[in-house]
Amino acid sequence: MAETLPTIAMMHSDTLIARAREGDKNAQGKLVQMWYKRIYNFGFKFFFDHDLAMEVAQKTFISMHRNIDGLQEPTRFKSWLYTIAVNYCREELRKRKATRSVSLHDLRPGESEESYRWEASSSRSENPEKQLRQSELSDLLQQCLMELSDEQREVVIMKEYEGLKFREIAEALNISENTVKSRMYYGLDGLKKILESKNFTKETIGYEL
Amino acid sequence: MNYKPDEGTLIAYHYGELDAAESKKVMEYLNEHPEELKHLQQLAGVSNVMKQVRDKEVIAPTIFGVGPDKQVHFWRSSNFKTIMSIAASFILILVAARLIGPEITYSSGELRISFNDSKKMEQPAQSLLTPVEVQEMITSSLHQNNEVIAAGWEENQKKINQSMKTSFAVNSYKIDELMKVTSQASQDQVGTFVASLQADNLKLMKDYLKLSSTEQKAYVEALLVDFSKYLQEQRKQDFQVFQTRMSSIEKNTDQFKQETEQILATIISNPDATIRKVNNY
Repeated sequence: MAETLPTIAMMHSDTLIARAREGDKNAQGKLVQMWYKRIYNFGFKFFFDHDLAMEVAQKTFISMHRNIDGLQEPTRFKSWLYTIAVNYCREELRKRKATRSVSLHDLRPGESEESYRWEASSSRSENPEKQLRQSELSDLLQQCLMELSDEQREVVIMKEYEGLKFREIAEALNISENTVKSRMYYGLDGLKKILESKNFTKETIGYEL
Repeated sequence: MNYKPDEGTLIAYHYGELDAAESKKVMEYLNEHPEELKHLQQLAGVSNVMKQVRDKEVIAPTIFGVGPDKQVHFWRSSNFKTIMSIAASFILILVAARLIGPEITYSSGELRISFNDSKKMEQPAQSLLTPVEVQEMITSSLHQNNEVIAAGWEENQKKINQSMKTSFAVNSYKIDELMKVTSQASQDQVGTFVASLQADNLKLMKDYLKLSSTEQKAYVEALLVDFSKYLQEQRKQDFQVFQTRMSSIEKNTDQFKQETEQILATIISNPDATIRKVNNY
């Protein structure tokens, strides 16, 4: 969520979306540049897997390129894009459950030579020790997130990390707004219990549960 | 106050997505229910903790061309090219038609397309024949055909007969020659066979005679031996019979002698009784 205001403003630029709908390759390319990181991080938090997140992001934007001319309301572009991403996440989830394969990345996440951890340009200027501690905490919390059900996890990610409104999440998931709120409430409640079971205390992470 | 917000309302209040009136009501409810407020604060704490999960940096791939849009002229569009292709083809056909000089005619159900054809098509002669004439023509034609077929058949038959005769003659001559050769060969083979058969028979008879004389000799010898044995046995039996008879005669003679002596003794001892018996007889 390190996007600047002008970038956010660009995301909601109806003009850019309208140009992309008309087949403007330049506008479509700018949309990809702007939204790729968000969709990738949505996939990464959903799977906690770099390769699957890349797969979902690429498929999402290929689908966007093919189908953006059918988007009726440019104001719903954000929820429309997350709908595509969620559908591909669910598809990958089904494939993974069917094959039950285990990625090497799942065994030791973040420790490969090409790890995205070292690409965190925003934190390169920070203290390396603090950076390492932050990265470890991030992975631990990500593991807690993975213990939620798929339905609660996708709602929590969309709300907490992607900043969608409950209405937008309901549109993206094609469910009622009350269902979204309920899943969010019980998702946070479940996370609270998971964090307590793993002894995440005020001393360890600096927040009181 | 009976107002009790549900979980959805509470979480919407936490994220600030309630309208002012609803938000005020929830706030009042939470002030009156500190345990609910505490629980909501704990959820807010969880939300803050989970925000520690950082985004991963990723470089967006260049999927689409991000350069300036190239202006596509209308003559490069596919629709224009298609239309121009059709027009060019039509013009080409017209030019070719002009050079070649096509002529398309339709008459009596016949479509005729010709190129640079100056000759007019000859009209077929109109039919002036009556059905009877046509029938006669057909009959005469059939008759002629029958005659031709009959003549041809007769000629063919003659040829076939001649060919068969020639073939029979040649084949019979070949068969006679073949039979001669075969009979000659058979006489030689029979003579050879008979000669070999006679030699075999002679040899067989010699062997048989040789075998027979030996066996006959043995048989005669055996027969002689048996006959001598028989003669000896017969002599022996005759001798025994003779002895037995001689013994019997001797015994009868002795018995007769004894009876005679007894009679004489009786007569001598009693002459009167003997005389009377003789007289009675």
